[in-house]
Amino acid sequence: QEKAVSGTVTDTGGMPLPGANVIIKGTSTGTQTDFDGNFTINVSEGEILQISYIGMKTAEVTVGASSTLSIQLEEDAQNLEEVVVTALGIKREKKSLGYASQEVSGEKLAQVPVANMSDALTGTVAGLNITQSGTMGGSTNIVLRGVSSLVGNNQALIVIDGTPINNETFNQTNIGSGTGAYDYGNGLSDVNPNDIEDVNVLKGAAATALYGSRGMNGVIMITTKRGKSSEKIGVEFNSAITVGNVNKKTLPKYQNEYGGGYDGGSFYSGDIDGDGVVENNIVYTYDDASFGNRFDPNKLVYNWDSQYPQLPGYLQPTPFVAGASTPNDIWGTSTTYVNSVAFNGGSEKGNYRLSYTNFLQEGALRNNNITRNTIDFSADYNLTEKLNVFGNITYTNTRGKGRVLTGYDSRNPMQGFRQWWNMSVDMQKQKEAYELTGQNVTWNLKDWINQEVGYTDNYYFNRDHNYQTDRRNRYFGNFGLNYEINDWMSVLGRFTFDTFNELREERVAMGSSAGQGRSSHGGAGEYYFMTHTVSEYNYDLILNIDKDLNDDLNLNANVGWNLRANSRYGNDARTNGGLKIPGLYSITNTANPLTEEDINDFNIRKKVDGFFAQANLGFRRMLYVGGSIRTDRSSALPSDNNRYWYPSGSLSFVFSELLDSRETINFGKFRFNYARVGNDTDPYQLINTYVLNAKLGNSYNATAPATSNNPNLKSETMQEIEAGLEMNFFNNRLSFDVSVYNRKTFDLITNTDISGSSGFTGLWVNSGDIENKGIETRVTVVPIQTEDFRWEMTANWSKNENKVTKIFGDSEYLEMGSMWNVSVGAKLGESAGTIRGTDFQYINGQRVVGSDGKYLISESSQEVIGDANPDWIGGLNNSFTYKNFNLSFLIDIKHGGDVYSQDMAFGLATGLYPETAGLNELGIPKRDPVADNGGVILKGVKEDGSANDIRADFSTYENPYGYYGAPEAMHVYDASYIKLRNLSLSYRMPKDIFGEDSVINNMTLSFIGRNLWIIHKNLPYSDPEAGMSAGNVQGFQNGAHPTFREIGASVKIEF
Amino acid sequence: CTNEDYERLNVDPKNPSSVPGSFLFTNGTKSLFDQMGSTSVNRNVFRLFAQQWTECQYVTETNYDIRNRSIPSFHWNEVYSNVLYDLQQAKISVQEDINLLDGEKANQSSIITIMEVYAWQQLVDTFGDIPYTEALQGPDNTVAAYDDAATIYEDLLTRITEAYNNFDTGSAGLENDFIYDGDITKWQKLAASVKFKLAMRLADVNPSLSQQHANEAIGWGLIGSNSENLTLPYETNPTNAHPLYADLVQSGRNDFVPANTFVDYLNDLEDPRRTVFFDDNKTPYIGGVYGDFNTYTEFTHIGDVYYEPDLPGDLMDYSEISFLLAEAAERGGYNVNATAEEYYNQGITASMEYWGLSSGDISAYLAKPDVNYATASGTWKEKIGKQFWIAMYNRGFEAWNVWRKYDAPALRLPASTGNPVPLRFTYPVREYRLNEANVSAAASAIGGDAQQTPIFWDVN
Repeated sequence: QEKAVSGTVTDTGGMPLPGANVIIKGTSTGTQTDFDGNFTINVSEGEILQISYIGMKTAEVTVGASSTLSIQLEEDAQNLEEVVVTALGIKREKKSLGYASQEVSGEKLAQVPVANMSDALTGTVAGLNITQSGTMGGSTNIVLRGVSSLVGNNQALIVIDGTPINNETFNQTNIGSGTGAYDYGNGLSDVNPNDIEDVNVLKGAAATALYGSRGMNGVIMITTKRGKSSEKIGVEFNSAITVGNVNKKTLPKYQNEYGGGYDGGSFYSGDIDGDGVVENNIVYTYDDASFGNRFDPNKLVYNWDSQYPQLPGYLQPTPFVAGASTPNDIWGTSTTYVNSVAFNGGSEKGNYRLSYTNFLQEGALRNNNITRNTIDFSADYNLTEKLNVFGNITYTNTRGKGRVLTGYDSRNPMQGFRQWWNMSVDMQKQKEAYELTGQNVTWNLKDWINQEVGYTDNYYFNRDHNYQTDRRNRYFGNFGLNYEINDWMSVLGRFTFDTFNELREERVAMGSSAGQGRSSHGGAGEYYFMTHTVSEYNYDLILNIDKDLNDDLNLNANVGWNLRANSRYGNDARTNGGLKIPGLYSITNTANPLTEEDINDFNIRKKVDGFFAQANLGFRRMLYVGGSIRTDRSSALPSDNNRYWYPSGSLSFVFSELLDSRETINFGKFRFNYARVGNDTDPYQLINTYVLNAKLGNSYNATAPATSNNPNLKSETMQEIEAGLEMNFFNNRLSFDVSVYNRKTFDLITNTDISGSSGFTGLWVNSGDIENKGIETRVTVVPIQTEDFRWEMTANWSKNENKVTKIFGDSEYLEMGSMWNVSVGAKLGESAGTIRGTDFQYINGQRVVGSDGKYLISESSQEVIGDANPDWIGGLNNSFTYKNFNLSFLIDIKHGGDVYSQDMAFGLATGLYPETAGLNELGIPKRDPVADNGGVILKGVKEDGSANDIRADFSTYENPYGYYGAPEAMHVYDASYIKLRNLSLSYRMPKDIFGEDSVINNMTLSFIGRNLWIIHKNLPYSDPEAGMSAGNVQGFQNGAHPTFREIGASVKIEF
Repeated sequence: CTNEDYERLNVDPKNPSSVPGSFLFTNGTKSLFDQMGSTSVNRNVFRLFAQQWTECQYVTETNYDIRNRSIPSFHWNEVYSNVLYDLQQAKISVQEDINLLDGEKANQSSIITIMEVYAWQQLVDTFGDIPYTEALQGPDNTVAAYDDAATIYEDLLTRITEAYNNFDTGSAGLENDFIYDGDITKWQKLAASVKFKLAMRLADVNPSLSQQHANEAIGWGLIGSNSENLTLPYETNPTNAHPLYADLVQSGRNDFVPANTFVDYLNDLEDPRRTVFFDDNKTPYIGGVYGDFNTYTEFTHIGDVYYEPDLPGDLMDYSEISFLLAEAAERGGYNVNATAEEYYNQGITASMEYWGLSSGDISAYLAKPDVNYATASGTWKEKIGKQFWIAMYNRGFEAWNVWRKYDAPALRLPASTGNPVPLRFTYPVREYRLNEANVSAAASAIGGDAQQTPIFWDVN
C-alpha cells in the first residue's frame, strides 16, 4: 500500500540538511530535501529509504506505520568519501590520492555565462594561471605550476569524459611575439559550460602520468552531466544574458592640446582651393602622431574633412581643435545570450542525456559576432548485468565574424588607438563621412591632392569591409564497452575522437591601406583562406581491478594500452598583389597568378602508442601506496630512439584515522609523490625539408628552412616531487590543502634561436633544463553557520619559481620570443620569462641623464629589465547563503611579474598620452622649446653624479619618454593586479511556491557580474592581463584590447 | 605499427628533403639581389647611408640609428641563411647530382662560388670581422668564432681564382641560367670582375696583394659592356618583382624622397640622369633635407623607373668596373691599358647608357668643365668618387663604399642629430644574445663595435 510519507533530515546537532537525497532502496525513485530539510515521498510500508548527504554517513530507514519520519545523519568522520575522476577517467576516492587535485563544480562554472569555459576557472584553482587575450572569442592561456617547456606546449591538457580535446589555437604568424594575427581562440571554447557536471584539476605529474607526455602540464578533467535514473524525463532549462561595457581604466587617456605631427608641427602649404593663393593652414594628415601644432580654436584649418571633395565640408576650414569624440567612443556594449535545454532520463538499465545550447555573442565592436550551437548526447546502457555500453558525442557548429586582431597589425584598431593617432580626429565625423560616402574616407590621407590612404583606414570602413569569417564543425566524444569480469575486475575498451574542420577567410577590400593583410597588394585588396581538418583518435584498452584482499587491504590497479593518432591536413592560399573585381572574395579573383609563395599545403601526422600499469594498495582506508609505469613510443622521434619509460609513485596517509577523537581534527591526510613523465615533440622535426618558392623565369627555386630540424632529438623528461597536507577542523568549518612541489624538466625540446651565421636562425634541439618549484594552498573557512545563514570563504594562493638550469651545447641564452629588440628568454640561472633590452645607466642607483637631458641608455642591449613571471597569484572567494539566497564573489590577485608595453613605448613617442602634454614644473608647456623654459627635467643625476638640472627637449617624437628617446626599461611595467572577478547573487525558489503538483522541481534566478572592478593595477591605460594570445611568450603588450565589465541575469529551471 | 612504419609516418609528404642544386642557386642568388636592392627600413638602409635618398616621416635610420629596427640582424641573417647557406647546399647538391657530367658540375660549382664570394665580401665590407671558417655549419656549430676580415679577403681571392680556373668552357653551365643564359664566358668575366673588385678594395691596405690579383683578373678579361652586367631579370608578377616595387608601390607608403645631398650635386652638374633618377613633380629639382622630417609633397620624388616591378636588379656593372680601372690607372702598378680619364669617361658613359640616355646627352655631359676629368676640380679621388657615387644610384651599398674608400664626395651630417656617417654596421643585437663570447672578442679585435670603427681596408 503506497502512502505519502514526509520527514525531516537533520544532522546530529539538529541542523536541517537541505538537498539531501532520499531514495527508495532498489529503485530509482527518490526526492531531495528542501531548504528546511523536509521531504515528502510516496512509498509503501516495508520499503527502505536511503538518505544520503555529502559528508554524512548514509542512513537507511524502513518505512513503518508512521507517515512522518525524523532522520538524523551522522557526520562521516572520514568526510571526504568523495569520489573524483582521475586520469583516464578512473574514479578514485579522493582521500586515496597521493597528489594534488582541486575540484570545481559545474554549478559554479555555469553561474556566470562565459564564452570560454576557462574564463570561469580563473582565480578558482590554486596554481592555475589563466591569461586572456581580451578579445571577443580570443584565446586563453592555461598554465599550471609555471612554464616547464620553453617553446613546446605549456597548456594544460583538457579531457572531457575521457576524450582529450585539442586546445591549440592554430593562430597564424607570430601572434605570440606581437606581430598581428587574428585570434581564433582555443578549442576549449567549444565546450559548453552548461553541460559540465564538474571539473577536476589534476596538477602534478603523478596525477597525470597516465596521460603520458600530454599530461605533463597538468590535466583539466571535465565530467559532463549524465542522465539520472528517474521515472520521468528530467528537463533542465537555462537562459542567461550578459551585457558588457568597456572598463575605462583599460582604455588610453589622451592629451587634447596638440594635433597631428611628429616634429613639433607645421601646416602644409598649398593652393588647396585652386584660387591661386597658397594656403598655409592645411593639416598634414599623413602624420599618425600628435606631436604637431598646439590646438587653437581661433585658427581655421583645412582638416581631413576639408580635403575630400565627396564631403560636404570640402574646402571649408574649421577651427583647429581636438576631436570631440576620441577612439574611446567606439566601444559599444557587448551582449551574450546563452540558452540551453537538456533532457535526461534513465532506469536501472541505463540513462541518457541530450542537451542543446545556443550561444550568441555580439561583440562591442562593429560587425563582430560569434554564434555557436552545441548538441551533446550521452548515454549508457547495461546490455547485460556485466556489460555496459556507453557513448558521448558533442557536435558544435561555430561561426565567427569580424574577430579582432591582436598585436601589431593595422587591422587591430588598438594599434592606431594606442600607438599612432592624431588628436584632431573626431571619430563621430569619421563615422559620418563613412556613412555618407560608403568609402574609406580616412583622416590619415597621404595628402590633399589625391586623397590616398596613409597607414590607417577609416575605422568604420575597416570594420565593415575588412573582416574575417570562420566556420567550424566539430565532433568529439567517445564510445566504449565496459565488461565486469567479476565483482573486482573489469575491462574497458574505448574509442575517443575529436575532429573538426574549419574554414577561415580574411578579406581586405580594395581601397584599404596597403598595410592590411598578409601580402603586398598596394591597396588593391586581398582574399585569404585556410581550411584544415584536425583530428585526434585514441584507442584505449584498460583492465581495472578493485579488490579487497582482506579486511585491511584493498588493491586498486589498472593495466592498459593506448594508441593515439593525430593529424592535421589542409591548405591555405592568398591572392597575389590584389583583387581584380572589388568586393569578390574568391581565390580566383587574384590580380596576378598565384605562385608557390601564395599557396601552402600541409599534412601533418603523428602516432604515439603506450602501455601502462598502475596499482594502489589501501590499508585500512588509512594508508595508500601507489605506483605506475608507462612507456610510450612516438613516431615523431628518431626511429632508433623513439621509446621512453617513466614511473611514478605516491603515498597517501590519512592520519586522522589514528586519532582517538575527531572532535577537533575531522580529517587529516599527508600525501607525497614522485613522478617522471616523458615527452616527445611535433612531427617532422628530424630532417630538414626545403621550401619551394616561386620560379624565376624558367628556373625553379627552393630554399632551406630558417629553422633547422635535428635528427638527434630525444624525448624530454619531467620529474616532479610533491608533498601535500590536507586537514579539516571544527566540524569541517576550517580546512586547508597545501602542496609543495619541485619540478624539473630535462632535455627540453625547443625551437631555439641561434646565431644566423650557422645558416639558420632557429634550431630544434634538446635545449636545456628548467626547474619549477612552488607552493599551492587552499584554505576554506566557514566563519558563520546558523540555521539560516552560512558564510564560506575560500582562499587560494600559489607561488612558483622558475629557473633555467642548463642550456644546450655552448649556447648561453635560450630565447623564447622577441619584439623588436626586446626579448624574453633566459640565461643560465634565470627564470624563463626574463625580459631583456636596454636599461638606464645608473650612478648610485640614480638614473643618469646625458648632456641633452635625456636618460643615458645602457651600452648593452642585453640588460635584464624585467621578468614576466608573477611572484604569486591568489584568489579569495566569499559565499554567503541566507535561506534560499546566495551571494558570492571572487577577488583575484596577481602579484608581480612585468610586462613590456610597446603601446606605451610608441604612444609616448607619438604624443598621445597626457604625460606628453601639459606644463612642466615651471608652469611652462613642456612642449615649448627648452630656450623658452619648456622641456622637462628628468629625475636623476648628471654624468658627474650631481642632481640633474638639464632640461630635455620635449617638442618632437624624439622626446625622452618614448621609444626613440628612452631605454626600453622605461616601458616595462609591473603587471600586478587585484580584481573583483565574479559576483553572483542567486535565489533558489522554495519548492512549495510551485505547489505539490507543479511540473517545476526547481528554479534558480541569478544575477551575475564578471570582471566588475579592477581594484588595483600599475600598468597605465590597459589591463595587465591583456595578453596577445595563448602561447609561451607572455610579457608583451602590443595593441592591447580593453577589458569588459559584464553584468547579466540567468534563470535555471528544472522540470 | 613497426618502427619502420613510424619512420615513414614522420616524413613530411608535402615538402622535399632534397632538391637539385639549381633550385637553391636560384634562391641564394635572388635573395642576394633582393636584399641589396631593397630600401625597406627593416632590411636595407644603404641608399640612406649613401645620402642618395632620405626619409620623410620617420627619420631614425637617416640619423644612423640602425639598432631600433634590428637592421644589422636582418641583414646578417638574410645573407648568411638565405644567401650563403642555400648556395653552400646548392654546391653540395650539384656535387651529388648523378645526372650531371663532370664538366657541368665544375661549371655550376664555379658559378655558385662566384655568388658566394660576392656575398662574403659584402658581409665583410658591412661588418668587418665575421664568422667565416666556422660559419654555415647548421646545428653542428651554433656559436661560430669570428675570423679576421683581412684573412677572409685573402681566402676569397683564392676561392675566386679557383672558381675561374675550374670553368670548363666545353661544357654546359646551369640549365635555365637566368643571369647569363648559359654563356660561360660571361661567367668567367664576372669571376674576373669579382676578383678585381676584391683586389681594388685592398689598394690602400695591401698594395702588392691588390696589384697581384687585380692584374691577374685584368688578364682574364673583365666585364666589358653593360650586356655583361650581373643583373637579375625581375618580373611583373609581384612575387618576383624588384624589391623596390614592394617598398615604394605595394607598401602604399611615401617614406622616401631623393636627398638634398644627391640632388644638389646633380643640379650643380645639370646631370641629364636627373630625368631618370627623379620625378619631375618639382621644378627645379629639390631634394629632401637629409636626416630631417620632410613633407613628401614638397620635394622631388623618385623617378618612375624605380616604381616598375621589372626594374632589373644590379649587383655589378660595367660602370663600376670602369671606375675601378680609373682608380687603378691613377694609382699605378696595375696593368691597365688606358688612362684614368678614359676609364672615367667609360664609367660615366656606361652609367648613362644603362639608364637609356642619348649619346648626345652623354657627350655634352662629358664636355662640361665640371665633369671633364681634365678640368673638373679636386683630387682624383674626389673626381672619380663623385661620378662613381652618382653612377651607383641604384646600388646604395656600392655608393656608400665609394664614400668610405675615396672619402668623397663630401656628405652631410643628418639634420636631426648630426651623427657622423657610419663606417660600418654594428654587430647584430642578436649576436650579443646568442653568440656573446665570440662577438665580444670580435668587437675588441676590430677596435670596438662602433659605427665609427673603420673596415680594415678603410685606412685613408
